[in-house]
Amino acid sequence: QDGGALRAAMAGLARRLLCRGFCVSAGPPSTRQLREAEEAAPVFQYAGKTARRKDRVFVWGFSYSGALGIPSFVKPDAGWKKPRRIQPTPYRLETEDKISSAACGYGFTLLASNTRDITKVWGMGLNKDSQLGFQRSRRDQTKGYEYVLEPSPIPLPLEKPQQTRVLQVSCGRAHSLVLTDSEGVFTMGNNSYGQCGRKVVEDEIYSGSHVIHQLKEFDSKVVQVVCGQDHSLFRTKKGSVYACGWGADGQTGLGHYNITSVPTKLHGDIAGVNIIQVSSYGDCCLAVSEEGDVFGWGNSEYLQLASVTETTQVNVPRHLPFKIGKVKEAACGGTGNIVLTEEGNVFVWGYGILGKGPNLTETAEPEMIPPSLFGWSDFSPDTRVARVRCGLSQFAALTNRGELFVWGKNLRGCLGTGRMEDQYFPWRVTVPGEVVDVACGVDHMVSMVRSFT
Amino acid sequence: LNAAPERAPRQRVRFLPSPAPGGGGAVELVAASVPVLADHPLVRGPRFRKLKIGAGHRLDVKASGVFVLGIGHGNKLLSDLYNCHLTKVYTVGGLFGKATDDFSDTGNLIEKTTFDHITREKLERILAVIQGTNQKALLMYSNIDMKTQEAYELAVKGLIRPMGKSPPIITAIRCLQFALPEFQLEIHCLHETQQYLRKVVHEIGLELKSSAVCTQVRRTRDGVFTVDDALPRTQWNLQSIQEAMRNCQLKVETELAKTLA
Repeated sequence: QDGGALRAAMAGLARRLLCRGFCVSAGPPSTRQLREAEEAAPVFQYAGKTARRKDRVFVWGFSYSGALGIPSFVKPDAGWKKPRRIQPTPYRLETEDKISSAACGYGFTLLASNTRDITKVWGMGLNKDSQLGFQRSRRDQTKGYEYVLEPSPIPLPLEKPQQTRVLQVSCGRAHSLVLTDSEGVFTMGNNSYGQCGRKVVEDEIYSGSHVIHQLKEFDSKVVQVVCGQDHSLFRTKKGSVYACGWGADGQTGLGHYNITSVPTKLHGDIAGVNIIQVSSYGDCCLAVSEEGDVFGWGNSEYLQLASVTETTQVNVPRHLPFKIGKVKEAACGGTGNIVLTEEGNVFVWGYGILGKGPNLTETAEPEMIPPSLFGWSDFSPDTRVARVRCGLSQFAALTNRGELFVWGKNLRGCLGTGRMEDQYFPWRVTVPGEVVDVACGVDHMVSMVRSFT
Repeated sequence: LNAAPERAPRQRVRFLPSPAPGGGGAVELVAASVPVLADHPLVRGPRFRKLKIGAGHRLDVKASGVFVLGIGHGNKLLSDLYNCHLTKVYTVGGLFGKATDDFSDTGNLIEKTTFDHITREKLERILAVIQGTNQKALLMYSNIDMKTQEAYELAVKGLIRPMGKSPPIITAIRCLQFALPEFQLEIHCLHETQQYLRKVVHEIGLELKSSAVCTQVRRTRDGVFTVDDALPRTQWNLQSIQEAMRNCQLKVETELAKTLA
């Protein structure tokens, strides 16, 4: 009797345990149950209707100079991290503000934002000639840092720091220029050739110098500043070009081969012409006029100006009679030049890896790079190149779809393709976003990117 | 097929005895061309007892569209066509707002998300990126040394294609229709499976910060065969099949000659 009661109690307990979950019998759920479960499921929202696209900065290339702005690549801050000499693919640089303009010099970078806050310009990389201004060292308050590993604010002596906006920055070999909208141009860095626009002081020590010079005397407002290797070019609103700095290759375009320490207006073939863009990075300079003509001066050892002259230096701007259509934009590299026409065609000439395979190493007349290499096809006929940029021995082209194509010498991984080999024709760089602008340096590149969604 | 008029039987020259013109029992051999008895229908039986049918590129159960079959000697052409590595075109339909485990709308629901922030512009941007990364994969898997002039020339013409095994590559993708929550894409691809295309739809949904499932996969072109050449179920009879084979023969031959040259 006792055993029977116990067994019944056990059976009852077991039945209650079985009924612990859903009291419905098991079996494949019917369509109605599935639909109800689906409708009852919670909806997740990852992005709201007014979600904005975010602006980001990506850097890649040689990092030991600090030019990439990521200190853990040079001095690892965790035990497992190893120093990274080269960043072969685009790496995100976290910045608090939206960077509107960036420039890469020879081992250093400047980032500028269009804001009205007090801090408008950040610099990182080499600072041995104070090209990033004076960065006070925390260990010794009297000395400055020679290598800046993180984007550090550059204090500009502005009269109205909360109203002036920085429009553009540009970097050369050891000097930098900052263009503001109402207070002219600020220059800092090496001035041994007068490239900062002030009088050359003999035996001046540039390291740890506080000097930031301001330039205001131009015929109208300056709208573009460009740094060559050791010279500076200024383009004003009226369409005239001023230059100062080293002139041994004629890159100042002033008719002589001497140093100029005060910005002086250029004449020659561009006198009276409305110039809408100037470009330089090495010792050769190009200017584009409103009508679409190209003018060049400076070094021509690599056939950059061989279409007009046999000499290797040209010290007066000369019109380059190319029959390639109306030119929209030009960019100068160390040995090669590139122009973009209104139709969206890209032309290269000069010496080096020009982008038409390993067989084309030098040409004096512009050669077109076929648009199919930039993503143009019958399937997407609207794809065209929107911008061209030049580093010392690399070229970069941005399409209207926001894709970045690079080619040239892959010095210390600066192309960003992920490989260390040179690239003989345009190759797409994988960037997680739409590339808005890119700045090319000697061995590193910086790009401003907007996220997709 | 067996009822169709057959080939004439083979003829063979045989020396048959026939009575001599002289008369009286002498027999001489006269050459005559007679049909071979082995070809006689009553001896041989029906000409076709079995048909060897081979399939071209796979098409899974949930997908539809052009499916290439080879009959008899055509199976050899099938393997040649496979080695040509031609692109296939699919029309893929998708739906935003859901994520399922097998990426199609009949799977188990994993998550529901909002999709009102998605615009056609955002979708086209994502598609441009997909095309660009696959373009790079195309160049990388084609096993050409990037440093040669030959590589440059092929890249300009757009003829670089992986001629061996490679992971699925999308050569072109664009949006045909966009009406939230539905959208339709046209995808040109190589070496793919339909499940990979469904996965691509799912990834597009993730990239747009939402989720997407694939509702329809339809192959509209397989190499040289398009939907116009294909026979729908109502036309699965002998005459249409023979006519279709005749129409496509020329196309297949020119394509093979061009690619395998």
